[in-house]
Amino acid sequence: MDLLHGTLDLLILKTLALGPMHGWGIAQRIQQISEDALRVNQGSLYPALQRLETAGWLDSEWGASERNRQAKFYRLTRAGQKQLREESAQWARMTTAVGKILAHEG
Amino acid sequence: MVTWLVRRLRALRHGAALDRAFDAEVRFHLEMQAEKHVGRGLSPEAAWQQSVKDFGPMAKYTEETRDARGVSWFEELAQDVRYGLRTLLKSPGFAAVAILTLGLGIGANTAIFSVINGVLLKPLPYDNGDRLVLIRQSAPLASQQDVGVSIKELYEYREQLASFDGLVEFHQMNFDLLRRGDPDRVATGVVSPNFFDVLGIQPVLGRTFIAEDDREGAEAVLVLGHAYWQTRFGGDPSIVGQVFEMNNRPHTVVGVLPAVPHYPNEVDVYMPTSACPFRSAAERQIETNRRAFAALRVFGLLKPGAAPESAAVEVATVGDRFRQDHPSVYRPDSGFQARTAGVLEELTTNARPMLLILLGTTGLVLLIACANVANLTLARMLRRDRELAMRTALGAGRWRLVRQLLTESTLVSVIGGIVGLVCAWATIDLLATFVERFTPRTGEIGIEPRVLLFTLGVSMLTGLVFGTLPAISSRVDLVSALKAGSKGSGEAPARRRLQGALIVAQVAVSVVLLVGAGLLLLSFFRLQSVDPGYRADRVMSAEIFGNFTRYPNAETLRRFYLDVLDRLEGAPGVTSAAITNSVPLAGLQPGQTNFQIEGRVYDNPDLAPTADVRVASPAYFDTLGIPLLRGRAFSALDHDEAEPVVVINESVARYWDGRDPIGSRVSADNGQTWLTIVGMVGDVRQFGLDREAVAQVYVPLAQNRGGLAGRVLVRMSGDPASATALIREAVHAVDADMPIENVRTLDEIRATYLAAPRLTALLLSVFAVLALIVTVTGITGVIATSVSQRTQEFGVRMALGASRESVLVMVLRQGFTLVAAGLGLGIAAALVLGRVLQSYLYNTTTTDPITFAVVAVAFLMAGILACLGPAWRATTVDPMTALRAD
Repeated sequence: MDLLHGTLDLLILKTLALGPMHGWGIAQRIQQISEDALRVNQGSLYPALQRLETAGWLDSEWGASERNRQAKFYRLTRAGQKQLREESAQWARMTTAVGKILAHEG
Repeated sequence: MVTWLVRRLRALRHGAALDRAFDAEVRFHLEMQAEKHVGRGLSPEAAWQQSVKDFGPMAKYTEETRDARGVSWFEELAQDVRYGLRTLLKSPGFAAVAILTLGLGIGANTAIFSVINGVLLKPLPYDNGDRLVLIRQSAPLASQQDVGVSIKELYEYREQLASFDGLVEFHQMNFDLLRRGDPDRVATGVVSPNFFDVLGIQPVLGRTFIAEDDREGAEAVLVLGHAYWQTRFGGDPSIVGQVFEMNNRPHTVVGVLPAVPHYPNEVDVYMPTSACPFRSAAERQIETNRRAFAALRVFGLLKPGAAPESAAVEVATVGDRFRQDHPSVYRPDSGFQARTAGVLEELTTNARPMLLILLGTTGLVLLIACANVANLTLARMLRRDRELAMRTALGAGRWRLVRQLLTESTLVSVIGGIVGLVCAWATIDLLATFVERFTPRTGEIGIEPRVLLFTLGVSMLTGLVFGTLPAISSRVDLVSALKAGSKGSGEAPARRRLQGALIVAQVAVSVVLLVGAGLLLLSFFRLQSVDPGYRADRVMSAEIFGNFTRYPNAETLRRFYLDVLDRLEGAPGVTSAAITNSVPLAGLQPGQTNFQIEGRVYDNPDLAPTADVRVASPAYFDTLGIPLLRGRAFSALDHDEAEPVVVINESVARYWDGRDPIGSRVSADNGQTWLTIVGMVGDVRQFGLDREAVAQVYVPLAQNRGGLAGRVLVRMSGDPASATALIREAVHAVDADMPIENVRTLDEIRATYLAAPRLTALLLSVFAVLALIVTVTGITGVIATSVSQRTQEFGVRMALGASRESVLVMVLRQGFTLVAAGLGLGIAAALVLGRVLQSYLYNTTTTDPITFAVVAVAFLMAGILACLGPAWRATTVDPMTALRAD
């Protein structure tokens, strides 16, 4: 299953709401939580991360990873938290609407 | 917003560092993923391959990430600039020549534009500048471009014109201002009390005039000009209220003007009209003489909303009415008319066409510089084809390459612009002194924001103009470029045609400039060698206008002049000395006095002969070296009680149709007094070397009724400079308080008169020679490039038996063809464009064949010289070396 356009941003924000994380970790988390239902090229994460950072929703910082290796950690900013709330709400509205339409058809 | 900007700037500055950081981040990701796969039992190699596969197309994500930073075009520009700078540094010779060439071109344009900005573009620094007009009267059929307005005429304009809120007058007088007993001759502007209100000038200190100042018996007041206040009183803030003596009356300073240009003349102080004794005297006669005191300049302030066109019609109508109502005053054959003129236009009317011609000239020079640098760049492109092909092969898009080349050219032109700005800054004062001869607005010339903007704009445009041609020719045939030898691609016929076309254009433009300069120079030399009818060498002149309070009438003044003359004639080294009001070329305008010849009756008295009347003491003609053709000159016997006599010039004698005028009598006052003609002298072009001599009647000083002679002339047997001290001694021996002004030799006066045409010709010549040099170096460069590209061809030809001479001729013919084509085009263009110079030429047509021939021959010779070097190098090609090479 491919990712709906724009949902990758939402997933990244949601993942980072749990705590700072590096790029690989974000990829793992998304795959784990979605139980591998979402298949996505891991590399596509990085342009998205850069985009979110440029928009000011993320901050990044180099730090030591679990095995004491240098990795770049991403963290949600205040603006990012707000953005997450807005996008989540919008997502919920949309899925509800789509769900209703589908239920009606059925 | 700020953090966004900071992030972007950081991204820009650290573009390369960010790329490295991204690589590290990706490497960490791949390693982690590979470890995960190893944990699941894959071999390290397979694990790495799998993790790269999981990642997806690496290059795509790298590029997308870079784009997401959002500054990539800017980053690329910075990259282009850095790369361009490196490229330029690698060929410093090219960079230096290109920057210098463009710097001169842009500098010339900046300098001229800064003058145009200050003189023509900036609005007048008067509040009401845009509503201000002048009322001008002229009599074109009597070749009088400027007929001053009289007091009576002004009053009638005031009565009859409805479009104006106010009509004010100005005239200039020179008075002695006594401060603590120290006489100071001041140029005085005599103005209506509301003059400054109408112009819209606020004083910086005190007040300007009010209506009460102009009342009969009011206390005399003065307003000081800014420059005079600064130079004579050091900007003393307590000047208001100080009292000075002027015309035997105390005058109180009531205000100081701001530093604004004065119109029509720069004056030191202003006084209201009632304080001018001359004008007051004239005012009493205006009912009998409606042209009394016809020396006024009249300014009108248009009513808000009044159309300038309808005001002009109104003024012209009043002028027509003058002519109809008073035909004996405004003679029908004089073509008298009145019109309005904008003040800004009047201030700049002499400078405007000259400045526009200069701007056109510098524009053409810049065009030539552009063509030259474009050519240099093209020549360099031949060597850079391989570099460009390589970059194309490595993935640079065509647009990217064009942009790179344009960045380089703009870089060169902007650096050139900075050089140009320095050139302009260094020459601007010189230029201002030159323009001073055409307009009083030079004080407002400077390098201002608008000038800087102009320079920047011209620089960028220049970069685009000379960069576009080489850039669009950069379509590189990859394979052939990479395969071609180290000399670059030998085949670039389109580019070579482009180079040829640029040379032809350069030659054509240079020819236009050279022809223009040549015409002006020729005209100047003809003007300079005009026989003026007098001898200017070894004659000193000075102005001594008697203080009229001390010399209240013509009689006392005449006695003073005769005393001075007595002393001068006896002084050592003095050949002769004269008092007159007629100094040739000193900027005087001819007057027109009607006279009658005894025994002749004119059906129409308005068609009576006219002449300019001048005062001359006995030695005047000797002093100026004006030849006496018949009869005698004046002598001491022609005193005020003797029979009144005159001397005429040749131009007056034509009224006698070849008969001898000596002994005839003429009258200038309707026959009340008859003056006997005792001599005839040669014509003198005293109102301009380019103007035919006018009919001239000389009256002896001792019989002159008016008082104002004012000029002393001394011919010396040696250096005229020694006359300065003699004149001072003689004048001060008679009157120690008499100011002496404008002590200049007649040669200096003549040089001042000739300065404007000489400087114009000189300036244009400098630009034209600049263009010629640039063009010739351009020709040399192009031919040299072409020769070095054809080394092999020449080698083969000579190996096959071609003589050195035939190779020489071959190269020369190539250059000659280009020059000849440019010459043809240039001459055609010059024939058309030369017309703009017509009004600046004396006795020279714009199609002067000699000038064209000289320019053509000079250019052909310069062209051949330019080709000789490369051509000679072509003949020294060693066939064996050439064939073995590459």
